[in-house]
Amino acid sequence: METDLLIIGGGPAGLNAAYEAASHGIETLVIEESFSMGGQLRQQTQVLDKLPKQFEKQRGTTLARTLIEKLSTLNVKVLLKHTMIGTYQDGRIGVSNGVKTIPITAKRIIVTTGAAEEASVFPGWTLPGVMTIGAAQILMNREYVQPGKNALVLGSNTFSLEIVKQFKEMGVTVRGIIESNSELISKHEKIIKSIKKDGIPLYLNSYIENATGVGEVQKVTLNHNGITEEMNIDLVCIGKGVAPILEPFEIMNCSFTYQIRLGGWVPQYSISMETSSPSAYIAGNAAGITSMGGILLTGQLAAVSVAESLGFLNEKLATEKRASLWKELHCIETTADLREVFNARMALIKDYHEEANLLPSSLFDLSLEEC
Amino acid sequence: MTNQYDVVVIGSGVIGSSIAYHLSESKQKEILVIDKGFPLSGTSGSTQAWVWVHNKTPSWYGELSMYSAELYPFLERKIGDVEYKRTGGIAPFFNESDREKALRLAEKQAEVGIDIEVLNREQVLEKEPALSPTIAGATYSKIDGNVNPFRLVELYIKAAKRNGAEFSFYNPVIDIDKDNGNFTITTKEGVFYAKQLILAGGPWTKGLGELLGIDIPVKQVRGQIIVTEPLAPLIKHTIGGMRQADNGEILIGYSKEEVGYDRRTTLDVIQDTAKMAVDYLPDLARANIVRCFSGIRVMPHDGFPILGEIPEIDNAFIAVMHSGITLSPLVGTLMTELLTEGETSIDLKRLRFNRFNECNV
Ligand SMILES: Cc1cc2nc3c(=O)[nH]c(=O)nc-3n(C[C@H](O)[C@H](O)[C@H](O)COP(=O)(O)OP(=O)(O)OC[C@H]3O[C@@H](n4cnc5c(N)ncnc54)[C@H](O)[C@@H]3O)c2cc1C
Repeated sequence: METDLLIIGGGPAGLNAAYEAASHGIETLVIEESFSMGGQLRQQTQVLDKLPKQFEKQRGTTLARTLIEKLSTLNVKVLLKHTMIGTYQDGRIGVSNGVKTIPITAKRIIVTTGAAEEASVFPGWTLPGVMTIGAAQILMNREYVQPGKNALVLGSNTFSLEIVKQFKEMGVTVRGIIESNSELISKHEKIIKSIKKDGIPLYLNSYIENATGVGEVQKVTLNHNGITEEMNIDLVCIGKGVAPILEPFEIMNCSFTYQIRLGGWVPQYSISMETSSPSAYIAGNAAGITSMGGILLTGQLAAVSVAESLGFLNEKLATEKRASLWKELHCIETTADLREVFNARMALIKDYHEEANLLPSSLFDLSLEEC
Repeated sequence: MTNQYDVVVIGSGVIGSSIAYHLSESKQKEILVIDKGFPLSGTSGSTQAWVWVHNKTPSWYGELSMYSAELYPFLERKIGDVEYKRTGGIAPFFNESDREKALRLAEKQAEVGIDIEVLNREQVLEKEPALSPTIAGATYSKIDGNVNPFRLVELYIKAAKRNGAEFSFYNPVIDIDKDNGNFTITTKEGVFYAKQLILAGGPWTKGLGELLGIDIPVKQVRGQIIVTEPLAPLIKHTIGGMRQADNGEILIGYSKEEVGYDRRTTLDVIQDTAKMAVDYLPDLARANIVRCFSGIRVMPHDGFPILGEIPEIDNAFIAVMHSGITLSPLVGTLMTELLTEGETSIDLKRLRFNRFNECNV
């Protein structure tokens, strides 16, 4: 199979990149390992604000539909339940549908594989009933299933606390939030206040010693400040945050750097969102954990650069477009409490430009400008 | 940490760690091991980890491997459970015409005490029923097995530390000088001095040699491996081409490519490897693959270990080889003898660095 542009991942970054690219007339193929497109938006029932200016405020689930519908009149082909599993020596990408491996020749690739939740390992962590906090969200919002009755949440980032709030609405009793640090990870005052008001126990300096049960989790032993306590629990949610999914970049031999604010190890990329592997671009949470606005904008940025490199957009127009997208990204990330993320991104790009002897970009001082 | 040591070992893979451990047993020497990464970031963390003997030729090389395999049970008693299993090894052949070769191998290896049986199809399938009925036969030996390389290297290091050896990780060696009989080893984290120096840098050893002004005749050979999901016990033996680990995963593959230090996996080789696996074990067609990895072998030009003194540089030693997992207990023992007594219980003549010069004359 041949295409101008192959996009790996049909989440918001991939879909928005596909829209931007195909609008310029680029033949685009999106592969998505799940049975439907939309990525994490599919269980995000909350209203998303701070989206890029062409999007109205809307629920995540609605945004997924919006993005998919926008592609319907364009030259975009989608392969669902297809996974990138490797590359051939000649650079073709191998995509598997579980039965066959299809080699795909693409002039350009944008990898938008997003992020995965981090696990936390303790004896009994593989018992049914132990899941990530994101899995509990999928059960509630997508499958309409109550994930359990008596829950413990391990980890106290903002996302975990939001789900704790939702547990309350769904009739799940949260018996405690367990945090190994001496303070909560989330700095979201409003949520913290309301959790405290609800009287949900917070166990700081604490960890789970083990989970036990026959066929499913039934009891959990908690250790807080050295004192152990056994609880009757049927749901343990691990909320340790997310980190970029890196396998495709490893397979393509991209170089990496460590930026804790972006989620740990991330591929290096330029101001055009191009990685160190020629013709391979990056966008979305794979390029650093950010908000939905950042996810959509980096998708668009990568697609603009692809359009330029394939000659669908001249250099002047592309440069202007990129500049305005970076400005918008700057505004969105700095006002959405993600100033550090934006700065980390700029530091990463600057380092990479220097290391790879790429032209410096006038955009580097963006962080000094006001929105 | 002082910065003067009796022995500095560069490289904390299975070879450097084993040498440090064996050397530390006598507690006679102040030892420092320096590694630019963590101990399994090199080849020892990306290996099949067979302790493989029976068809290593010529027979003196098989013999050496056998001595090393014999040391494993004792090693395990000293440093702890490294998941060493003497499973027995099966090397299948698919063509009746290969039987002649197999018989010759058995005869040759018998001369050095390696016991090999040449099996027909029925005998092989009786031992290993999951193997494909299309095989013609196999060579078989009880002496082969495999080990968990992660536990092995970790326990070498722990035991060496218990005996007082020191380790410095994430600390690349960037320069080596020799004056007044002492080595000056410049690293990212500082300068160390050593009376004796051992190069055990695996696939980076050529670069270490350059720091000493010597050309080490080794090349890098990539190998790609497939790992399956954990499966119910399917094979009992170590089979030429694959083994099943304690947790049920099957590790498959032995490809060879000279592509420099490039640790990518490619679908070309992975698909060939998968095909080979199914030819051997038809049941594997239904197994999911969870991971592929590649490792970089360091292959001396004639295929045999380079072990012992570095010519013209007093007190500098080298230990670089393929099959380091199999050979590590023996290499650690022999290097300890060499460094503490100046001679070894097994003649190292064939493995000496200067054999390459002799060839050129
Ligand atoms: C695919 C594959 C399958 C294999 N299968 C088997 C098998 O079944 N049985 C078997 O016996 N062998 C097998 N081998 C070979 C075996 O794995 C190696 O012989 C062995 O791991 C080599 O160990 P080492 O300690 O020499 O090298 P390494 O493990 O690579 O260690 C070298 C260390 O030196 C360090 N280093 C290098 N340069 C510097 C520097 N400048 N400063 C500081 N530190 C430095 C590195 O960081 C590294 O940790 C296989 C190899 C491969 C690739």
